[in-house]
Amino acid sequence: MATSDEIMEALADFKEQCNGNKRLRRMQRDWTKVLHYAAVDTGDKFTMTVREGEILSNEKGAAGTPDVIIEGESETLCNMFWGDINPTQMYLKGEIKVKGTQEDIMRIDAITAIIWPEV
Amino acid sequence: MTVVDDILAEKDFEKIRKETETNYREYLNPFALRMFKNAGLDVIEGRREGACVWDISGEKYIDCVTGAGIFNAGRHNREITDALKKALDVYDMGGWISIIRERGLLAKKLAQITPGNLKYSIFCCGGGEAVEVAIKLARGHTGKTEIICMENGYHGVTGFALPATGREVYKKPFAPLTPGYIHVPFNDLDAVKSAITKDTAAVLLEPVQGEGGIRPADDSYLAGLRKLCTENEILLIFDEVQTGFGRTGKMFCAEHSGVTPDIMVLAKSMSGGLYPISCAVFTEEISDFLYSHPFIIINSFGGTSLACLTALATIEYIEKNNLPERAVQMGKRFMEGLLALKKNFPELVVDVRGKGLMLGIEFPEDSIGPRMACLLKKNGVISIYTFNNPKIIRIMPSLVITEEEVDFVIDAFDKSLKEIRAQEAGRNMKGAGK
Repeated sequence: MATSDEIMEALADFKEQCNGNKRLRRMQRDWTKVLHYAAVDTGDKFTMTVREGEILSNEKGAAGTPDVIIEGESETLCNMFWGDINPTQMYLKGEIKVKGTQEDIMRIDAITAIIWPEV
Repeated sequence: MTVVDDILAEKDFEKIRKETETNYREYLNPFALRMFKNAGLDVIEGRREGACVWDISGEKYIDCVTGAGIFNAGRHNREITDALKKALDVYDMGGWISIIRERGLLAKKLAQITPGNLKYSIFCCGGGEAVEVAIKLARGHTGKTEIICMENGYHGVTGFALPATGREVYKKPFAPLTPGYIHVPFNDLDAVKSAITKDTAAVLLEPVQGEGGIRPADDSYLAGLRKLCTENEILLIFDEVQTGFGRTGKMFCAEHSGVTPDIMVLAKSMSGGLYPISCAVFTEEISDFLYSHPFIIINSFGGTSLACLTALATIEYIEKNNLPERAVQMGKRFMEGLLALKKNFPELVVDVRGKGLMLGIEFPEDSIGPRMACLLKKNGVISIYTFNNPKIIRIMPSLVITEEEVDFVIDAFDKSLKEIRAQEAGRNMKGAGK
């Protein structure tokens, strides 16, 4: 089980890696979304705001109207943001649930594929 | 030894897999490879026969995708292959600025087998190109510009066809697109009525939406469209790329409703998955446009000698083996099995529907379609969700599928649904134990 602060730490690292990657920013420049992450085991929620491929903020709690909702165990979410697991594989095993479009799921996978190609 | 001899002689499947994946990663489309691998759909096609395909490692699968309806006559159909081999011994493709005997013979055959007064053909290579031809004919013939298309429809991704495809994700990165396309809800006659203006040239739709989630149009809706189009001097275009050549239990899906469009678009199974060809078939009245513009719609590789002979052999095979009737029989067997699954898995199967061997299973949420595709492959079946609606898994096997193979597919669905049920139960238990 991961604490809320641990997930925020992982999200901060994820943001730094995404925003610092020029290739990724170019690829995702038409992606503007509000994403909610929900840890089903702890009940913690987080909001990520992305504008034109740049992660503007990560906040605790569910703020605004989400375009995508991702649910999973806290440990799974944490591992996903640290790049320790492949989110699509988790999705296909039913370990994470994504409420959103198939394109958004592919975008999230594309981000991890660029940052952590070996995952 | 030629390069082809070398390639075909290689039997070390581990070497082939590594080489192919490297080439995809380095020279084709790395992210597509990743998606295939993530989904467990990284089958590298080796042997292909009947309703089946074998991975290069020798693993056998029943192919329920068939390239969205390319292989109605079966994978690597030997009779059609022999016809193509014979054609290759005699001809090359033929010049496009030449008169080609085989092109005329195929056009005549299509005039004979397509419904009503459809008569003239223009040939191209792919479905999207044939849709483009249909739209050009509609605009050229009527002198009007607007095309009414359907939400969630799929008509390909090329120039004039892309704006007709009813999903933004395909179009957004390529804007600005050709203007003049209006999208309305499918199966809603009033929506079409409301969209008609003095500039409407045509109404374009698939009689069964394929990528939109295997959604058949109601017969009364098609009849209503026909009446509406005739009254308003608007052309009716049926995109039968996926539904044509026996797939839905008739040679062409239009025959179910008795509605004849003014233009019918054909591709996919037209030449048995052995040589590319597609076409738009249209009425004599529309052909008048070609009198003043005989070379305005041209295609270097459309309707080559080889493609036309292969298509003639394919049509002969479909007719001789009465594949439309086979689609009815096997479709009925599938439907019985699928309805039983719906009864046994009410929380997972929302709907089963389709015509003939163009079937779809709808799940309650998007994630289940991709997860099912992954599990079905593990259970010996290649299937995939529809591109415009991931809640639906398509079942579009070759029409030569046997009763035993149908039962195998149903059994694979049963096993896969049980696994999804177990995954969901495990997840719910974890959630409850927090």
